[in-house]
Amino acid sequence: MTAFEIDARQVPFNNGDNILKAALNAGVEIPHFCYHHALGSLGACRLCAVEVKPEQPEQRPRVVMACMEPARAGLKVSVAAPAALRARQGVIEFLMTNHPHDCPVCDEGGECHLQDMTVACGPPYRRYRGRKRTFINQDLGPLVHHEMNRCITCYRCTRYYQQYALGTDLGAMRLRNEVYFGRFQDGPLESPFAGNLVEVCPTGVFTDKVFRSRFARVWDLDTAPSICPHCSVGCNTLPGARLGTLRRVRNRDHAELNRWFLCDRGRFGHQYTEHPERPWQARVRGQTVNYSDALGAALDQLQRAGAAVAGVGSPREDLESNALLQRLIIRHGGFFAAFTDPGIEAATAHAVRYINRMGTPTLAAMEHADAILVAGELTAVAPMMDLGVRQASRNKAKVGVIHHVADPLATLADYDIRLAPRQTSVALKRLQGMIATTAEQSSGDEHGLAQLAATLMHAQHPLLIGVVETLGAYGVAALAKLAQSLGGQAALAYALPGPNAYGAAIVNEDGATQKVLEAVETGKVRCLVVTAADPLGDTRTGWRWREAVGRLDSLIVMDCVDSATVRAADILIPTAAWAERSGYFINYEGRVQCFDRVFERDKPLPASVAVIADLANALDLGAGEPRVAIADLLPGIALPLAGEPGIRLTPRVRLDVPPPIESVAGATGHWQVGLASWYGDDPLADHAAALSSLAPASTATIAPDTARIAELATDARVMLRGPAGSLPLPLCIDANVAEDTVALPRSAMCQIGVGHGGYVELEAMP
Amino acid sequence: MEVVLTPRITPAGPLGLEAYRVAGGYTSLEAAFDLKPDGVIDVVEAAQLRGRGGAGFPCGLKWRLRGSDAPKPRYLICNLDESEPGTFKDRVLLYGDPHQLVESMIIAAYALQVQRAFIFVRGEYAQGASGLTTAIAEAEHAGLLGDNIAGSGFDLRLEVHVSAGRYICGEESALVNALEGRRPNPRPRMPRISAQGLWGQPTTVNNVETLVNVPHILRNGAEWFRNLGIHGGTGPKLYGISGKVDRPCLVERSMGSTARELIYEHAGGPQAQRQIIGFMPGGASTPFLGPDQLDVVMDFEAVAQAGSRLGTGAIIVLDDLSCPVAVVLNLMQFFARESCGFCTPCRDGLPYAAQILSDIVAGRGHVGDLLLLEELCEKIAPYSFCAFAPGATMPLQSSLRVFRDHFEQHLAEGGCPYANRGQRP
Ligand SMILES: Cc1cc2nc3c(=O)[nH]c(=O)nc-3n(C[C@H](O)[C@H](O)[C@H](O)COP(=O)(O)O)c2cc1C
Ligand code: SF4
Ligand code: SF4
Ligand code: SF4
Ligand code: FES
Repeated sequence: MTAFEIDARQVPFNNGDNILKAALNAGVEIPHFCYHHALGSLGACRLCAVEVKPEQPEQRPRVVMACMEPARAGLKVSVAAPAALRARQGVIEFLMTNHPHDCPVCDEGGECHLQDMTVACGPPYRRYRGRKRTFINQDLGPLVHHEMNRCITCYRCTRYYQQYALGTDLGAMRLRNEVYFGRFQDGPLESPFAGNLVEVCPTGVFTDKVFRSRFARVWDLDTAPSICPHCSVGCNTLPGARLGTLRRVRNRDHAELNRWFLCDRGRFGHQYTEHPERPWQARVRGQTVNYSDALGAALDQLQRAGAAVAGVGSPREDLESNALLQRLIIRHGGFFAAFTDPGIEAATAHAVRYINRMGTPTLAAMEHADAILVAGELTAVAPMMDLGVRQASRNKAKVGVIHHVADPLATLADYDIRLAPRQTSVALKRLQGMIATTAEQSSGDEHGLAQLAATLMHAQHPLLIGVVETLGAYGVAALAKLAQSLGGQAALAYALPGPNAYGAAIVNEDGATQKVLEAVETGKVRCLVVTAADPLGDTRTGWRWREAVGRLDSLIVMDCVDSATVRAADILIPTAAWAERSGYFINYEGRVQCFDRVFERDKPLPASVAVIADLANALDLGAGEPRVAIADLLPGIALPLAGEPGIRLTPRVRLDVPPPIESVAGATGHWQVGLASWYGDDPLADHAAALSSLAPASTATIAPDTARIAELATDARVMLRGPAGSLPLPLCIDANVAEDTVALPRSAMCQIGVGHGGYVELEAMP
Repeated sequence: MEVVLTPRITPAGPLGLEAYRVAGGYTSLEAAFDLKPDGVIDVVEAAQLRGRGGAGFPCGLKWRLRGSDAPKPRYLICNLDESEPGTFKDRVLLYGDPHQLVESMIIAAYALQVQRAFIFVRGEYAQGASGLTTAIAEAEHAGLLGDNIAGSGFDLRLEVHVSAGRYICGEESALVNALEGRRPNPRPRMPRISAQGLWGQPTTVNNVETLVNVPHILRNGAEWFRNLGIHGGTGPKLYGISGKVDRPCLVERSMGSTARELIYEHAGGPQAQRQIIGFMPGGASTPFLGPDQLDVVMDFEAVAQAGSRLGTGAIIVLDDLSCPVAVVLNLMQFFARESCGFCTPCRDGLPYAAQILSDIVAGRGHVGDLLLLEELCEKIAPYSFCAFAPGATMPLQSSLRVFRDHFEQHLAEGGCPYANRGQRP
């Protein structure tokens, strides 16, 4: 690697680097505003002025913009040179002619790039005598606050929003010193990644509206390295708390995962920790009790039940709680499952095994794919994977999306393939067939599958991404086989159902969920312990759980959010939310990551693992040490500390993949149900007030052609009937829904008792 | 001098296709097709035709440097955005003789082997653009545009784009962005638009006045063309003379005519009893020259040597009733308003300078304001992203030299002396 010099320091650079990029990578500060690692150089702010020493004796030193000047070996650069400093001071003074001097009341204060640069560069005086230009702010919805007078016109926001995140509803308008960054008119920002504006903007134009509603000065925040608990990507975060409450979440750089950004679910989902219905008080059969009484009652029930116990863990529960609960229950002679729906269990187990066998790309690596197939609504399940696909698409990758409802990624796709839920696996098999026998490609094909197959075949770095929850085990296997048929260079990734779904899958025994559910249904279980799961609120199996728990003597529930299961609990032990404890999650890549405790509440709640350990110790089962439980599960792995990049599990022993089971019971209706999800939809973020206010209305959504054939009018109300009951819903007609499919939100599916790909009856209401 | 570019322009309006042909129009096509593309470029180079858009870059060299092996498709754009205050030459060419422009575009496109060319017309010239559109339709109908032009095997589509407005759209890379439907911000110097311009393809941008010389060069030869100029200049030049003169006008004269000849012989000199106190030789973004420099030869090098720029050759004259400080304030307000808003020094520095100037004019000037203005110019011009800001600061910077006493008088008397005398222009 070659180098050049900045003020007597040697700075190495890569081919194609500019001076600024090389300097920042080497830890040498050059003041800048418009340059951003993810967005590159623009050359607009003119703050990165540096002096370049002449190469020939007769030349004079030049002041250049470091972000626009290619790095070259032998170059002698000075940041400190008086001419460069003078240029930078000019820029700062010019910017400050319009910037309000309102740092004391500005939310950005303390982490403001403009503040830092002004202090670092000067000038230390203010001589502008004129009026400042002022703007009218916009209401950009519940997540991001707008204060345009603070804008320094660095164009980072529109470059991020439009070019990087491929959003369309925010941009630059007008000219001169009146350039305005906003929407065409007031209204919520549409991008699932809008919250990054808060961090991308170097001043206080875009700030976190949720944080703002309960503000603290940033230097007063308690922080600790954390991991996002809202999906299987496992983005690295830095939550901030003050006076015993969590106030905000910011991005924390992880070179292989989220790097500079987060999705809005990850940034704003934390409000669930402050939800008014959050369980705070332990309860025994309706009576509020203290922790030790609740623990005593639980012990009593477990002892009485003897071996007739079962435990249910969860993909959103940390690794140690799952592992420890499993130990406790098994040692007690009972049944344990880490899932609540046998279909999801099978699909996740298969995905994890395929990842183990075939490897899976990091988020950063996904951006280098040149052809991508996404099977499912990725934005709703693993938003940052969607952002990765967008980067690949910007790098000219061809993208195909197989989806059943309106999907943000599908609108950007080269191949937008809309299929009813149960046709997805069929299509994946067909793609595999096309790739295996090139002959098949010539036959007629109405969905563009043949073109997609050809694109995948001819790609250097094809990438297949599957959404496990909607693919089911069949689809998961079909996608893996498709990847295998593409040969060694194909990459395979799955968006798993939960931040620790991978961990849950390795704790869980195959078929355990079915066994636990049947054991409860048949009365073999007297006492059921559930941690951080909501079996009663499941789409497909919720109604069975709701009936079955009636046969129990006691239902013991630990959770930090309200749910159907929490409400049905005989013994409820509220537990700490993720930022109130530490723990481990294993993300979609099989990366074990540690999240630290960020803060303590005035009245701290116990971590679920601590409750389980208390139970185990009291029962004298010797299962009490969480680290030991994890060590047994992951032999030979030195667990990472919080703030470290995590440890990726190498292939485990259990590699043979059993044939997938058909996970959905037989048809009982004529309409196939598709899950209508969105980027704020997860069991925790559902309780985040600001984010969930953006949730789409609850409707039964069908395609226009389907509506015409079924003679349903736009403004109709329909009655849906499923195994668990019936539900009236307004009808919505949307061309992005697959034919013969009715798209329903999770809550509606739960009420009528049908899962994704299941069948319901639907009729117009008078 | 023989009038070459403007003899067909009369108050009766532009010539139609037939009349233009009778006047000798479209005869250069045959010459061009005989010379082959490289031959056309050779002749234009030999004629020493320099760009008339402001920078004076040699036209033949620009075409040669684009390269005959440049990837296809390539584009040619005629810059007819003319928004420089004081400049009204391109307008006359557009409204007065659209067929001359069409003929020029065909030849330039042929020389550059371009199959799709655009004429980017200033928004306010919409009526001229519609006359041009009519001329293009006539030419298409006559087989002078479209496929296989006049049996030569050369194809060309010519499109007129009426600008959505703003001065900066005339800067060639901002123009390319505007044509693509983007914000009219200039592009970085690299990659050059000659390599990656419109839609990322090789693109050549020329001013109208540059282009309309080309058919005449082909008809009459390079030497004839060079000899049209005097005092070392080459070819004819459209000079506009406006401001405080008796008869503001546009004249076609030899490149290299002196400012004195243009102002006194063609524009009638200053109005009765008035004295010239200074002038801008080439439009609003060129430095002021004093009355002692009236004999400057109006060609690129000579004006540069005198400390200014030939620019568009649009002379703006100030007399002893024009307050130069007010004129400069007016210009700075114009430039502050027309800044594209992309880079900090220009966007926020120019309004700052305009604010100081308005204080001075209104009698709120501070001691030290002139130093401050000089400092601002030094902090704006060298560090801006494009050539707009240097152009915008030149009149201010030069006025602080040429009209120093006027500025000082403003500060000393607490306002504009002209206004106090009730004679402010
Ligand atoms: C701020 C700015 C405005 C300009 N406006 C015009 C214009 O209106 N018309 C024009 O022909 N050139 C204009 N130019 C010059 C063009 O960028 C370009 O140099 C010219 O069109 C090239 O043509 P030429 O080589 O034939 O002169 C402008 C340049 C700048 C920096
Ligand atoms: S709003 Fe913020 S990010 Fe956007 S241009 Fe202004 S200062 Fe830059
Ligand atoms: S993608 Fe997933 S892990 Fe990352 S911020 Fe969003 S919800 Fe959290
Ligand atoms: S100098 Fe002015 S016109 Fe040119 S890029 Fe900067 S702001 Fe735009
Ligand atoms: S960082 Fe280089 S110009 Fe803005």
